[in-house]
Amino acid sequence: MNEQRQVFSLRQVVSSIRKTIEERYQSHYWVKAEMHKLNLYPSGHAFPELVQKEDGKIVAQVNGAIWNHNLQRINRQFMTVLKEPMKEGTTLLLQVKVSFSEIYGISLQILDIDPSYTLGELQRERQETLLRLQKEGLINKNQQLEFPLLPQRIAVISADTSKGLSDFMKVLNQNQFGYAFFTHLFFAYLQGDAAIDSIRKQLNAIERVRHHFDIVVIVRGGGGEVGLSCYNNYGLCKAIAECSLPVLTGIGHSTNLTVAEMVAYRNAITPTELGEYLLQVVHEFSVPVERAAEQIRRSSRTILERTDTAFSQTVKQLKGNVQNSLLTHHNKWQVLSRKLNSRSELSIQRQHERLGFLQKNLAAFAKRFHTEKALYLHDAELFLKQNSLRIVQKKNEEISQVERQIQLLDPKNVLKRGYSIVRIGGKTVNGSVAPGKGEHLEITTYDYRISATVDEVKTTNND
Amino acid sequence: MSKELNYTAAFDELQQIVSDLEDGEISVDELSLKIKRASELIKICKKKLVTTEEDVNQILKELEG
Repeated sequence: MNEQRQVFSLRQVVSSIRKTIEERYQSHYWVKAEMHKLNLYPSGHAFPELVQKEDGKIVAQVNGAIWNHNLQRINRQFMTVLKEPMKEGTTLLLQVKVSFSEIYGISLQILDIDPSYTLGELQRERQETLLRLQKEGLINKNQQLEFPLLPQRIAVISADTSKGLSDFMKVLNQNQFGYAFFTHLFFAYLQGDAAIDSIRKQLNAIERVRHHFDIVVIVRGGGGEVGLSCYNNYGLCKAIAECSLPVLTGIGHSTNLTVAEMVAYRNAITPTELGEYLLQVVHEFSVPVERAAEQIRRSSRTILERTDTAFSQTVKQLKGNVQNSLLTHHNKWQVLSRKLNSRSELSIQRQHERLGFLQKNLAAFAKRFHTEKALYLHDAELFLKQNSLRIVQKKNEEISQVERQIQLLDPKNVLKRGYSIVRIGGKTVNGSVAPGKGEHLEITTYDYRISATVDEVKTTNND
Repeated sequence: MSKELNYTAAFDELQQIVSDLEDGEISVDELSLKIKRASELIKICKKKLVTTEEDVNQILKELEG
């Protein structure tokens, strides 16, 4: 097989390709592509990766090249039209020239990028974020939170170098009323793509210590109106909407509201204005307190006055009642006293009459009594005179009889009748004094006193 | 923030006293007690305006934990 071979050097081939391509692609083209990575070199040239995606998959990819002077011009245009630098990861409308280098191969030389197209894209993103949040019911979620009566404890998402932060703090710290605010800074990037994750991360951190705070503020300022498209990012806006504390924004710009500002509890144009708003809220709290104090003063005065009036009326009434009562009693007393007077006079008169009557009767009675008693005494005297002699005679007769009885009982009279008394040693012989043989006897008779001796003793039978 | 009485509760109680007074449902006996309480509440509310008691170190500790 000695086939005649034609052998090319690599350079010949690549040069041929270049020639072909240069002939085929002589004009400039507008191409829609996503700039995946800018790949900016220190030389100032950039070599971005351009891709086209379908359903998230890359279906075409080619390297691009932007020379330094083109890049600077393009950036200026972007800043003028979009207030944003060129962003990686966005779809751009590029004016390109197909170029082929023997060493670097094929690439698209980027001569221009249309900022208007990107503006449209940004607006589309903004619109998409809005629609999605609306669909998910998140648009008003943060605004439905209850706003604290006193938003004094503030989680501040900002950068310590931000002019906006210092403006905000100045308003709070130098307020003439002396209201106290507590702020804690949660550092975050405030513009460009870095801001999205940075702010979301801090919102998460605040959520962990939320009990220390009343509200969250995002303040930014002094950076001009650039790099604000991050505030239309769905993820960031969702995080703000879902924050459990009211999020207030003061990100300092005057053009279209970003979605973040729309979902925030409240948006102030500048950090200064935001600070003044918070001051106003706190001040408005002090006003009702003052008003309450005034109302209390007024109401208590009314109550006291009312009570005082009621008291005076009662006292007046009491006085009247007492006077009436006194008068009534006085009248009653007079009537009674008059009655008493007349009654007692009558009574005295009656008693007087009765006494007179009794007096008269008493004299008559005494006279009669006296007559009766005198008569009785006279009768008694007569009776005594008639009976006393007879009583004396009777008593004499009784005495004579007793005398005779006594004389009869005298032992002398007994002895006279022949009886004698026998004594032994002076004692009369009777049952208890028995005479013994040989004993000396004294015998008394009416005429004699005889001494004798006992010869014999025999007992008598006295039956 | 005071754990005993937050400003919302203090303010609500104050408003209640105001409306009780305005309704005239308070007797003179109660009046001085109510006014004493109201002045305490006003003091609490006013104090809230000029003080906060948050501790930065505590927040930092909780963020680390």
